[in-house]
Amino acid sequence: MTRKTNEIIAVALIVLSTIGTVIGVFAVEKFRRGRIYTVELIARQPKYGNWYPKKFTVPYGKETRILIRNIETVSHGFAIPDLNVAAKEIKAGEVVVVKFTPDKKGTFPFMCTVWCSDEHLHMTGEITVE
Amino acid sequence: MIEHRLHRLKIQITQIVVFVSCLLSLVSLGVAEDRFFEIRAKKFSYTPNIIKVNKGDVVKIRLISEDVYHGLFLDGYGINTLAYPGQEGAVKFVADKTGRFSFRCSHTCGEFHPYMIGYLYVSPNRLFPLGASGILVFAALSLALSFRKSGKAAKFKLFGLVPLDWRFELTRFKVVRNLFKNRWFPFIPIVINLFVFTIILLAGILGGWGAGNYNFGVMIVWILWWVLLMMFMVPVVGRLWCMVCPFPLIGEWMQRGKLIGVGRQKSWGLNKKWPNKWKNLWPLVILFWISTWFSGFFTVRPLATFMLLGTIIVLAIVISIVYEKRTFCITMCPVSGFMGLYSNFSLCAVRRKDPEVCQKHTLKTCFLGNEKGYGCPWMELPYEMNRNTYCGLCLECFKTCPYDNMGFFLRPFGQDLFAERRRTDDLYRRRGLDEAFKGLTMMGIFLSFFIAFQGPFGHLKDMARATTLGGYLAYLAESFLVDFIFIPGLLLLFAFLSKRMSRTKEVSLKTVFVNLSYALVPVGLAIWAGFSLGIILPNGSYLLHILSDPFALGWNLFGTANFPWTPVFTGIMPYLQVLTVMIGLLFALDLGYKLSLQTYKTVEESRRGWIPILVYLVIIHLFFLKLFCG
Repeated sequence: MTRKTNEIIAVALIVLSTIGTVIGVFAVEKFRRGRIYTVELIARQPKYGNWYPKKFTVPYGKETRILIRNIETVSHGFAIPDLNVAAKEIKAGEVVVVKFTPDKKGTFPFMCTVWCSDEHLHMTGEITVE
Repeated sequence: MIEHRLHRLKIQITQIVVFVSCLLSLVSLGVAEDRFFEIRAKKFSYTPNIIKVNKGDVVKIRLISEDVYHGLFLDGYGINTLAYPGQEGAVKFVADKTGRFSFRCSHTCGEFHPYMIGYLYVSPNRLFPLGASGILVFAALSLALSFRKSGKAAKFKLFGLVPLDWRFELTRFKVVRNLFKNRWFPFIPIVINLFVFTIILLAGILGGWGAGNYNFGVMIVWILWWVLLMMFMVPVVGRLWCMVCPFPLIGEWMQRGKLIGVGRQKSWGLNKKWPNKWKNLWPLVILFWISTWFSGFFTVRPLATFMLLGTIIVLAIVISIVYEKRTFCITMCPVSGFMGLYSNFSLCAVRRKDPEVCQKHTLKTCFLGNEKGYGCPWMELPYEMNRNTYCGLCLECFKTCPYDNMGFFLRPFGQDLFAERRRTDDLYRRRGLDEAFKGLTMMGIFLSFFIAFQGPFGHLKDMARATTLGGYLAYLAESFLVDFIFIPGLLLLFAFLSKRMSRTKEVSLKTVFVNLSYALVPVGLAIWAGFSLGIILPNGSYLLHILSDPFALGWNLFGTANFPWTPVFTGIMPYLQVLTVMIGLLFALDLGYKLSLQTYKTVEESRRGWIPILVYLVIIHLFFLKLFCG
């Protein structure tokens, strides 16, 4: 190996281990999202941002997979009482996927079901089935 | 007549003895009781935070949460319960194990969750008196041994067994030597590390202000890296971390223009020189102390870890453009200071092999560099280097030495503490109060960390995480007083006593203070290892989770993403911590007396001067014992 090829290999290794890793992570995640779930929902106390998104729409009669990420420091829960959907406690840092097929059209509230803070009762959002 | 009286007296004494011993046994053993405690849990403390029972008591605990989900896991007993506002937890057990046990929150309740701790005392606590008598016995033995030997020993031997100047060359094996001379080493480990740090930074920024105990960045840095550093890397290999650290890579690449090959010896940047009088550990003493101000954030918040690492990376690049070579590593990297000081104790070192070869080789390529490699980036003089403080194990001198005269040696612990002073030590004002204060502030920082993060005091945790500005400032002021006034003051007092008792007039108080502060090097390593046990044993199981799901996206790479929080060996943790402290004390006693011999002129002076320092070591070790198990 000449000195020049050595340098090229070294630079390639650095790029691969930094930029390559970041691109790789996002690519894998994008591929996975398409297959595993349809909606991503982030759970946080109202003080730190509440549900994100607070409102979202899902199609009627098709299987919906909601991925809920608790990116916070306390436990949360998730339920859509009108559609008979609930996830039990989602711990801090935990990720769960809730699967269901909406059988009613309209707009329904969803909420946190674990006492997460003083503003727990305000941790609600709306899901629309069309 | 007299005999009769004596007989009666005997009977009376026996009666008193029997009565008193009965009374004592009643007091000490007690009668097994039912004990009931109502513990209220609130972020991030328990009320009461300390509960005391006797052996054999039936303990019932009702756990009430005042805000969110909280748990109570009891070390040693392995009991766990959960509480939730409106739903109480309850445990009942027989206190059949004695000692001090921590109970910890077992349900992530907020950022300080891993630090939510209370203490249960089950008396009688046998470990504390056992440890304390161990300390006293070791001290007495050390004193007896130091007074027994006549005359100054020709050669210092570690524990009287291994000569302190003994060394074994590992680079005599061709495989090791060829590895060290290869330009791809340590580049390849650095690149692997770069990959890990990319994930850490990405996880840190994606994790945001969330829970640190489920974040790859926080867990790898503060659980795995810190513990590895204190328990393995520094005591065994010295600055092993500096060898594989990825932070200076970009800056060094810019300075040299090449990654693998040998490019510019002189930096393309401003290439300024750092002032000589600050080329010692002082900047690092101050910078590490300042970085501990934020420990209540970056050990628990992913984004704070990201910001800390990001600052270090940016600073490393900027400094390498402005200043020459590894100025950043020598004067600014926060962790460089204690790694440098404690590396003097380590088992391994890079040294020249044959001094004569170096003497004849007038062109010092190890310092200047040649076509095979760079001149020492740490600005050491490898041909006369005799301590590990400023050797970053970058291995350039193996590449630049045309005579293969550099070696990687195994040697006894603490060899460098007795190295001769060199010209550069005086030129750069090294090996003075800077190293003494590094060792002393490390002890103070250990104290603040241990009491705030592994102790049961909620208000201290609130101060450390800055719930109120006043409390936070008080925490910083307290840390300043302890680190820079109280702990150095205590050593100064005993150094003063040491000088007085030695009755010498030739040795200055400063010399006594500085020289004997090196006895605290093994002590510092031991208490930090004990602290690390308190991190890794209760919280090591989080590593399994974050390895499988590094970005909290719901991945399960190795199938361990749902592994629950499982503390291991927390029942025997105090025993392990006491053991590490004892090992530290043994080294401190052995090396300390030799330091005294080196400080004072005659053996008699050294013996007399050693006594106050011995007392000092006993006092601080009793205190550490109290912290870990009393």
